[in-house]
Amino acid sequence: MHLVPVVFYAAAAAAYAMHFASRQPRTGRTATALLGAGVLAHTFLIGMQTVEAGHAPLVGTTAAISAFVWLLGLAYLYVELTTEERAMGVFVAILLTALGLIPALMPSVVQRPAVLRSPLFTLHVVSLLFAYASFALACVLGVTYVLLFKEIKAKHLGFFYARLPSLQVLDAMNGRVLTIGWLFLTLGLLVGGLWATQVQTSPDPRAQAMSVADPKILVALVSWGVYSFALYARRARGWSGRRTALLSAIAFAIVLLNFVPVGYFLTKSHNFNF
Amino acid sequence: MRLQVVGLSHRTAPIELRECVDFARGGIDVALKGLAEHGVAQESVILSTCNRAEVYAIIESDAATETIGRFFSEYHQLDHRETAEHLYTLNGGEAARHLFRVAAGLDSLVVGEPQILGQVKSAYTVASDLQFTGSILNRLFHSSFAVGKRVRSETGLGEGAVSVSYAAIALAKKIFGKLSGLGVLILGAGEMAKLTAIHLKAQHVRQMTIASRTLKAAEGLAARLDAKAVSWTDLDRALMSADIVVTATGATEPVLTGPRVDEVMRQRRNRPLFIIDIAVPRDVDAAVGDLEQVFLYNIDDLQSIVKENLARRTGELERAEAIVSEEVTRFMSWVQSRDIIPTVVALRQRFEAIRQSELLRLEPKLAGLPPEARARIDEITRLIVEKLLLTPTEQLKAVSDETTVVAYADALNRLFRLAAEEQARAAADPDAASKVGRR
Repeated sequence: MHLVPVVFYAAAAAAYAMHFASRQPRTGRTATALLGAGVLAHTFLIGMQTVEAGHAPLVGTTAAISAFVWLLGLAYLYVELTTEERAMGVFVAILLTALGLIPALMPSVVQRPAVLRSPLFTLHVVSLLFAYASFALACVLGVTYVLLFKEIKAKHLGFFYARLPSLQVLDAMNGRVLTIGWLFLTLGLLVGGLWATQVQTSPDPRAQAMSVADPKILVALVSWGVYSFALYARRARGWSGRRTALLSAIAFAIVLLNFVPVGYFLTKSHNFNF
Repeated sequence: MRLQVVGLSHRTAPIELRECVDFARGGIDVALKGLAEHGVAQESVILSTCNRAEVYAIIESDAATETIGRFFSEYHQLDHRETAEHLYTLNGGEAARHLFRVAAGLDSLVVGEPQILGQVKSAYTVASDLQFTGSILNRLFHSSFAVGKRVRSETGLGEGAVSVSYAAIALAKKIFGKLSGLGVLILGAGEMAKLTAIHLKAQHVRQMTIASRTLKAAEGLAARLDAKAVSWTDLDRALMSADIVVTATGATEPVLTGPRVDEVMRQRRNRPLFIIDIAVPRDVDAAVGDLEQVFLYNIDDLQSIVKENLARRTGELERAEAIVSEEVTRFMSWVQSRDIIPTVVALRQRFEAIRQSELLRLEPKLAGLPPEARARIDEITRLIVEKLLLTPTEQLKAVSDETTVVAYADALNRLFRLAAEEQARAAADPDAASKVGRR
């Protein structure tokens, strides 16, 4: 059962890749349907885990990755259905498959420890996951922008020129998801900070480790800095197009780094995996 | 019964004749009714565009070909001998292939042009509304629409601009999305500048500005295009507000140099700038193309894009023809599976006749049985016949090539004396019925 969503995501990735290469509308619709089926199956899975645990399955990195994959799938489907643009699907579906493998291969529902029994916890996690899903889309948009930009600049109009929407559209969408992501990131971090001060009296060693020096918190603040700079450069300094696109790709790499390796191995404060 | 197309097109007839042969002029419906008066076609569709006039018909005899050919000249009051030499006639699978190629734009003057599919559709709609089409032409035309769609979506046949100005507009769209909100600046007021300006004007750009070394020339062109003219000294300010710049001056030295555009880009806060340099010698220094957010294309770049697009279209021809062939095969197997149907029907009738006559023969012995038992016997014998015929029927319906159809039909006719049976039955039927009545 835990494998079902990721199998659909992988099938969707294959179909999106075929659609990207062949541009057959039928393959494109199949890809969307497969992705939709994956998100639906994932919804059921998360629902079952909620019933099993008695709370939303957001405790621990594995559960957070699962929720992130689900949110990203949902967000992408929304973007695709509103813009009628499928070219980004192949990139998103590959990311979904790669990250979706982690919760699929080691499914676990971690009981919520006492320190996390607060509405602030859910708000903190959900805002950050929304932020990460937006940043993932920004990264995909950034990468495709750079690919198209290079083709036009080099006067070699080929593969991406025929398949991607215009630079202007990619840039505008990138700006929009960056702003949305930044707002959620800021909210998530503020809530986290507020909540950390509340639990300082808790005997839980993880609550004691809540400090700016903890890798998870430190890298999160760094990524906030990078995204803030990207937005500032876009708006105030007229940085647009390629530079913001590259920056959003780099910043998402930092987010992923924080999410997976730091989340599993390095952090003391956010170690809820067992 | 045969599918046939008779027609002429840009491939076979000169423009003078194509102008005269125009069924659409007096209305396709009138032409269809005129053709129907000859009574040679069971089904008919007339396709008439500026590059072709064709009659698709289902005919019974060879004489119909001649009649339809004459209809072309008679309807337009032309000398038949002159028209006849430009007419082509294609039958069966070749006629189907022809229509599929036409619908896909493969037979068009500009290969891959998309309008023809719409013209084929409306030609069919007119004929179908007047009930001039039957099962075969309905199927044929619907298949042709499918071919047109498949070729467009599965191949790059209609893709890529094949003229310099369209290549430039396509590029601008890939950079800016839509052109409607953009500002265009034209440098120069010569013929090339004018032509490009007209093309861009058709894209509903927000504002068009013309700059020339002599303000008078700029004003002259601007007046004709409903554009704004600026003097050469205001060039930098005009560059600030433009998104697309077309340079077509007669200058021998570059007008736009690297440092000059760099300074402008700084003031524009790096909004993308698309510069199209169609002047020879070039008006824009190559270094300008290295600036961030500046896209510089000169006339050679655009021409090489056009060349690539043309080559790609040619490369796609093979894939398009493959789709056409695939659909022709599918259509013809459908037609041929229809050919076997009379044989299947005759075979089933033969078996049913045997069953009936055997039941009739046993009638005296069965007379004493209760009605339920007799009904059961009728049911069982019917089921046995059904079972015996099930596999042969399926196999026959699956046959799709013409020679096998003929061979199978022939073998079945001989083995079961189907043809003889049919003729005999026509004579014997009333007889048999009266026999039943006597008993």
